[in-house]
Amino acid sequence: MAENSRENESLLLVDDNPTNLQVLYQTLETTGCKLLVAKNGETALSIAQKATPDLILLDIMMPGIDGFEVCRRLKADPATASIPVIFLSALTDTKDKVQGLQLGAVDYVSKPFQPDEVIARVDTHLTIHRLKREVEEKKDALEDELKAASDVQRRLLPKNLPEITGLKLAVNYETSLYAGGDYYDIAKMADDQWGFLVADAEGHSAPAAVMMAMTCALFRSYPNPPMEPGELLYFLNEHLCKVADPSFVTALYVVYDAGSRTLKIARAGHPPPMIYQSAEKKAIEYKCSGVFPMGIDPYQQVPVTEAELHPGDRILMYTDGITERFNTSGETYGEERLLRQLEADGDLEPRDLLAAIMKDVNDFADGRPADDDQALLLAIVK
Amino acid sequence: MEISQKEENGIVFLAFEGRLDGAAATEAEQTVKSVLEGETNRLLFDFANLEYLSSAGLRVVLGAAKEIKRKDGKFVLCALNAYVKEVFEVSGFGAIIPITDSVEAGIKEIT
Repeated sequence: MAENSRENESLLLVDDNPTNLQVLYQTLETTGCKLLVAKNGETALSIAQKATPDLILLDIMMPGIDGFEVCRRLKADPATASIPVIFLSALTDTKDKVQGLQLGAVDYVSKPFQPDEVIARVDTHLTIHRLKREVEEKKDALEDELKAASDVQRRLLPKNLPEITGLKLAVNYETSLYAGGDYYDIAKMADDQWGFLVADAEGHSAPAAVMMAMTCALFRSYPNPPMEPGELLYFLNEHLCKVADPSFVTALYVVYDAGSRTLKIARAGHPPPMIYQSAEKKAIEYKCSGVFPMGIDPYQQVPVTEAELHPGDRILMYTDGITERFNTSGETYGEERLLRQLEADGDLEPRDLLAAIMKDVNDFADGRPADDDQALLLAIVK
Repeated sequence: MEISQKEENGIVFLAFEGRLDGAAATEAEQTVKSVLEGETNRLLFDFANLEYLSSAGLRVVLGAAKEIKRKDGKFVLCALNAYVKEVFEVSGFGAIIPITDSVEAGIKEIT
């Protein structure tokens, strides 16, 4: 890390006075850096562009373009903007120092200078510059990895939504960072029965993404057709308890029988589904008892609640990233707004209704970005 | 988020004020951890001035409950406002963590 060898680093020294330049050269030779010199502003800019030195020591008073202007042009060019500049000048006015620093210089040394001081300052800024570059490189590498994880995660989600007799489906899935903890899946079973799972691993980014992937793997490896929602959550929980600590995963699992249009609902720490009853033209949070989230402790028993749907009814499963979406005043979107959206008039396609809901959520947030993942699964009975 | 701390008759009281969300969770977890590093095995969270609690906040509470369980101690949440109470009800956490309406009732619960 903090190696003292400076042989891979280069300094550009800029001064119109040959004597000053020579003194500066001799002073900085001891640093071991490769030294480049320029006797005027034009040459300095040209060398800076070609050689991108690690640091520039820049005289202010020069014929032609002066040091301030050189600094301005360096900072305006993306290729040279990140090179630290130290002004070196006989001007000792505070005003000049401030102007230099405002132009983006990192430091200011007054002439006549003390060689030790110049060496110490150059050394400090070279180290800061190198560390900054290393942090940026690591950040880029980390972001690339998270993007790759996000791609893998997206592939875990169902590629297409199935065709289900008498039911129209749509989903919306957004992660707040590259990878997230929300998950949805649909399982096809015998006798036109379907299992809908919406889950939310606490937190977001990498740890939540791992839990999400784990939940997906467990759901798909369930030994029987997941027809009994309580038993399925019991099974997921049993395995998640071995790995989740101290985190947890909430889930809502609904089995839909397309023949009888009935639902069986099991809930583990997750918001209950919202159901729009077309006969009443009213949407409600469907009361169903549940258990605490998965990954904490084994369950005694997972209760199951039944519901019956009718043509025109809508059922919405969602994660709390929707209802807990904040606006700029710090208020949350909440369940009431979501219920009112679900009551929208007309013979709507699920994807249009979901688009309207997401527009309403985003309008409410008023530019404040989501700080949690947001997933919605909507089914409308034909 | 402000957390104030006191100890009386072998019970550590942590009073939370403000919002226990993702941004505050890490600091709260540190506070809980440092409290539980010692002999403490009776812990009371006073939520009277807690306005909001997110799922990250639930993780903090769960972490405290688990650690207390490991130490064979007692833990209680007190004086939750309507919103926070609902979070515990909907999430099912109410079934595994004792909750009382007042701090006084909480002290009785774990004494």
